[in-house]
Amino acid sequence: LGGDALLPAPQSISILSTNMKHFLTWSPVIIQGATVRYSVEFQGEYEREHAAGSWIPIPECSLTTATLCNLTQDISGSVPYRLRVRAQLGTASSPWGTAEGFFTRAMTSLTPPLLRVLAHGHHLLVELPDMGPSFQFRVLYWRKGQESRVQQKVLREVSSVLHLGSMEAGAEYCVKAQTHVQAINRSSSFSPTQCVRAQGDTSL
Amino acid sequence: LSTAEIRAGFTAIKAKIQSRDPIRSLSILNHPQSLHKVKSSDRCCITHQLFTFYVDKVFKHCRTEDSFVNRKISSIANSFLSARRKLGQCREQNNCVCGEESTEKFKQILANYEGLNVTSAAMKSLGELDILLDWMEKSR
Repeated sequence: LGGDALLPAPQSISILSTNMKHFLTWSPVIIQGATVRYSVEFQGEYEREHAAGSWIPIPECSLTTATLCNLTQDISGSVPYRLRVRAQLGTASSPWGTAEGFFTRAMTSLTPPLLRVLAHGHHLLVELPDMGPSFQFRVLYWRKGQESRVQQKVLREVSSVLHLGSMEAGAEYCVKAQTHVQAINRSSSFSPTQCVRAQGDTSL
Repeated sequence: LSTAEIRAGFTAIKAKIQSRDPIRSLSILNHPQSLHKVKSSDRCCITHQLFTFYVDKVFKHCRTEDSFVNRKISSIANSFLSARRKLGQCREQNNCVCGEESTEKFKQILANYEGLNVTSAAMKSLGELDILLDWMEKSR
């Protein structure tokens, strides 16, 4: 394959971002009988405005055969970024394909946390996932039938199990939670409500 | 103003950056007086000035042959832009007044910077980022 013009730029370039994990994806460039590789670069507002429009390569996504690149480590602050990728085959390089528009991490989609509610004797516990240092959890819990007396706990550090409180024997308690990301000042929707019943007999 | 992200980025390259600063006896930010001497009323202004100093004068002269370092500098620089924008909002709401002391202190920092060749000055300033972050977190 000679010359750059023959190698087309990658198409369908898009950024997938969920829970502050950001990935660039693109469609493969198909050249029969050849292994095409790709290289990705990013440009933050700093590079555009203060560093002569320079682009910064991502070594983990340089000459890769994958059609996916993890950008999470390189996207910071609340500034807009541009992302581009090109195909390479031997010494030939395609033109750059640039993702449409700008990406800021505030555009990430936040999903409700997956939690597990446990009745441990008369203790109400909730098991929370480790979603990384940017995440806080807001946990709401109440005794079934007393929906007007909802209690709340906010968890700022990563901790797998949270003790919510003590339960009355035989009573049923319900829990739901949402995540909050301070850096972008946004919260997920609430998880589905989960209820558990405390051991023991309510008639006592 | 969260400095955690900036600090994490700086911590990852601190040793590499500070190893490129041979003049350990001099300080850009803390000479002749420590940042901690700045009056609380002047803090917002000097923080904004220092963020502008780093964006306009420091980061662009710190490019290295190490792509990991370059990526972290980019991450820090873009975080600085975000933070400076937030501080800019304070200035607009006029609660970020620049008193005589902060103006004088910032002049001193610029003089310290211009007393060295640009690459050494930029690398030294970047190497002193933890001084700025410590001061910002302590004076919160």
